[in-house]
Amino acid sequence: MNRPIWPASLLLAATMLAAGCGSTVSRAAAPASPAAPPSLATSLATTTGTWAVAVMGGSAASHNNFWQLFVRPAGTSTWRLATPPGVASNGGLVLTGLASGSVLAGFRPSQDLAYSPLATTKNDGKAWSPGLLDAGLADVPGALAADPASGRLLALLTTGTTEMSGPGGTTWTRLVTRRALAASAAGTRCQLDSVTADAFSPSGQPLLGAGCGRPGIAGVFSYTDGRWQLTGPALPAAYAHQAITVLRLTTTGHSTSALVAAGTSSAARLLAAWSTDGGRHWTLSSPLPLGGATLTSASPGPDASLAVTLSNRRAAAITSPVGPWRQLPTIPPGTATLAPGPTGGWNALAVRGTQLTIWKAATSAQAWTSAQIVKVPVQFGSSG
Amino acid sequence: MNSGINVNDPTVVAAFKTALVHQGIIALLIFALLGFAWITVRAWLPAAQAGTAAGPGSLSAPAAEPSWRQLLRIGFGLLWVFDGILQAQPKMAIGLPSQVIEPAAASSPHWVQVVVNWAGTTWSYHPMQAGASAVWIQVGIGIWMLASAHGPASRLAGLASASWGLVVWVFGESFGGIFAPGLTWLFGAPGAVLIYMVAGGLIALPERTWHAPRLGRAVLAGLGVFLAGMAVLQAWPGRGFWQGLSHGQQGTLAGMTSSMAQTPQPGFLASWVGAFTTFDEAHGFAVNLFTVVVLAAIGAAFVTGQRRLVRPAVIAFTVLCLADWVLIEDFGFFGGLGTDPNSMLPFALLAVGGYLALVQAPATVAEPATAEPAAAGWRERIRPASVRRSVATASIRSVAVAGALGLIILGAAPMAAAQASPNADPILAEAIAGSTAPLNFAAKPFQLTDQHGRTVSLASLHGKVVLLTFLDPVCTSDCPLIAQEFRAAGQLLGVSDRKVELVAVVANPIYHQIAYTQAFDRQERLTQTSNWLYLTGSVPQLQQVWKDYGIAAQILPAGSMIGHPDIAYVIDQAGQVRAELNTDPGPGTVATKSSFAVLLANAARTALRSS
Repeated sequence: MNRPIWPASLLLAATMLAAGCGSTVSRAAAPASPAAPPSLATSLATTTGTWAVAVMGGSAASHNNFWQLFVRPAGTSTWRLATPPGVASNGGLVLTGLASGSVLAGFRPSQDLAYSPLATTKNDGKAWSPGLLDAGLADVPGALAADPASGRLLALLTTGTTEMSGPGGTTWTRLVTRRALAASAAGTRCQLDSVTADAFSPSGQPLLGAGCGRPGIAGVFSYTDGRWQLTGPALPAAYAHQAITVLRLTTTGHSTSALVAAGTSSAARLLAAWSTDGGRHWTLSSPLPLGGATLTSASPGPDASLAVTLSNRRAAAITSPVGPWRQLPTIPPGTATLAPGPTGGWNALAVRGTQLTIWKAATSAQAWTSAQIVKVPVQFGSSG
Repeated sequence: MNSGINVNDPTVVAAFKTALVHQGIIALLIFALLGFAWITVRAWLPAAQAGTAAGPGSLSAPAAEPSWRQLLRIGFGLLWVFDGILQAQPKMAIGLPSQVIEPAAASSPHWVQVVVNWAGTTWSYHPMQAGASAVWIQVGIGIWMLASAHGPASRLAGLASASWGLVVWVFGESFGGIFAPGLTWLFGAPGAVLIYMVAGGLIALPERTWHAPRLGRAVLAGLGVFLAGMAVLQAWPGRGFWQGLSHGQQGTLAGMTSSMAQTPQPGFLASWVGAFTTFDEAHGFAVNLFTVVVLAAIGAAFVTGQRRLVRPAVIAFTVLCLADWVLIEDFGFFGGLGTDPNSMLPFALLAVGGYLALVQAPATVAEPATAEPAAAGWRERIRPASVRRSVATASIRSVAVAGALGLIILGAAPMAAAQASPNADPILAEAIAGSTAPLNFAAKPFQLTDQHGRTVSLASLHGKVVLLTFLDPVCTSDCPLIAQEFRAAGQLLGVSDRKVELVAVVANPIYHQIAYTQAFDRQERLTQTSNWLYLTGSVPQLQQVWKDYGIAAQILPAGSMIGHPDIAYVIDQAGQVRAELNTDPGPGTVATKSSFAVLLANAARTALRSS
């Protein structure tokens, strides 16, 4: 009679032990890779004004995070709220400059909205006209790009596909999927991992930034004559064994700039690269060691300058390849991003709940000084 | 998995109470009718008379039930009844998936969550029927076990206990959490209901096995091996049980008990558990050492099967179980939604039962041979004379068993019927949206453009029932859910959908062009829904329709979507507005979406009937 009992008992005890032995204490969290693209918080300088994107409000989990767009019209030093109305911005906002100082904003998908409404302004955000991208924009600050000359747009999607529109944002067509790019000769050379940014070259060629699986390769792809070519900046031999990711691509005037992350963990560093011929030749900056911090925002400024903020409240800016990265004063708490100042230097946009504080620092300043406070009427619970 | 509705929702709580009261009345009627029938039959067919009809194969006097079996049968019968009563807590209908099943499965592997998720979703689709079925099935099994001491009915009761226990152990307790980290006997591993199953299996054993002392030895040995395994697990390093309070961080046991002490319960109980937590924080190592040593020693004693060792071990184990039940498990059913008194009482019952089976003297083994009614085959048993004899000689226990079976059927039948429908109970939608407001006035005419660019007027829909709502095509939350509910309602209407038109009007003054209605339709897979119309027009046209139907489409600042009410109107075939439904989708779970679809489809059917 005890036969049916014994095996069951042993099995039960063994199961208990196996289950218990399988349980472990939680592992220490792995350090965040600096190769991840920065947040959507960024700025954009156009001929008619300077724009900045930052997230405000409450927690994303309860859908109380609302991305806001601010503008400081040219010739003024005052920022104001300019978030396009009519769509919930919980998923994020992506910006790009159009011709004549117009600006295009794209809403990233959130909750049950799977595609990206667009909005264009010609008057510094006083009025917006709607547009449509029937797909979801990727969660990178460079997901939208425009060629001011032709009016064509590029959109990097959540799927890794890139779409291109006709003039004025009409008739979107697929330019390339991530898989197709990876399968191309250029993609194979790079061992494409992810597509992270898009831009047009000054001459109107589509450019894509990417993370490469092959160490030492910077993934900037140029679409020329119906073929994708790997035109990324050649990196020095010191980076030959390091993971390389292109984090941002921006074209301003006649110059395309790329922000590149090399290495991981405490050895990671940032490099800026500039090209004026669509990526055929690049000039590389000196490296900016991250010292274990992660990149939190990257902001292109006028004349192909670039400013970055790091997770340890450090910030740095670079204006040209000949000069080094210049350390900025320790950024104020809550700084979401930097934006070019009205008279040189940089503004730091710091968020605390529904309040945006603008801090300014002149080029050689040792500290930030408070310049303006913008209170934003966030509608808590409106997206829940 | 869960419906997402507040566990205290007054609509659901009231409906659950009403369902229980109604079914309780039916349960009383079952027992009353059975009792009446029993008395009547006994009056008409006296046992003596019936006995004269007895032929070969008549039932002999049953064997005396051994004390270990009696203990298990009555003990676990009472536990099932108590568990059934706990299932009748008002919050249980909505709360079981969200507050019991989901937390239990949260730390288990994915495959466990998939299995448990299926059960949780099933429950959340039919919370009334599921909640009530758990009450009556468990009370029924309990009464069945209590009332049935002998024969096949008694063994079947054990089998029913084991079978239902398996359902509860898998789906309600996520396999007792044995695949989750942090497993410990102190807190209920391997799941209380697994012990119910073991006990049920023992009760279901044939009568010829009742009196063999090997049975008790086997039960104790099995329990001993299990306890030894639990001792090893308890001693395993890195699981936090050796730690009391270190650098302000509570060890695993102190963390568990302190959270238990914070659950709603009588103050003195909380203070007992709190005191134990303080003691464990100060002497965590010693507490765990004591636990490991005692579990191992008791386990070893049980495995030996020697009476002189087993007796003190059973006493020690019972004391340990009671102490654990009070100080660590906190009685198991206080706070949150307790479904049973946890594992310590079942463990103690099993150990004592095993001991009694071991030590019962051979002298008490009474008349084992006379218990065999084997001579009576099933053909003999169903002869009218045999049936008459059985009925006439039935005891009050038999009536109770029949009543218990009635209770089980009372619980299981409605749940089985509900399961036959893939759609959720509309009570969920009513709980979110409130009751439907009946109306009767002429619908205001409109003329707009559909998603294909065709002009559509309300007049052109004359002769059809129109479910009319207002949706923002770039809305991120409610509107997509409402659209899915409309699509599901269309599917539910089936052949009737040719007489029903599902109509939405754009509720966004900025993003209102046809490109958005088309993108929205693609997003919500409405392009293949033939009776779906998503209408738009110029802003003045839309504003007129909004005004006529009491809709305010408000542009809100700072990244908010358009504010507008979630409303649907039911317009009958004659163009009369028959009802207004609040379509705020609430949590938007699969259960609530299905429930809203049923509500909308029912509203359309009602309008079709009334036209």
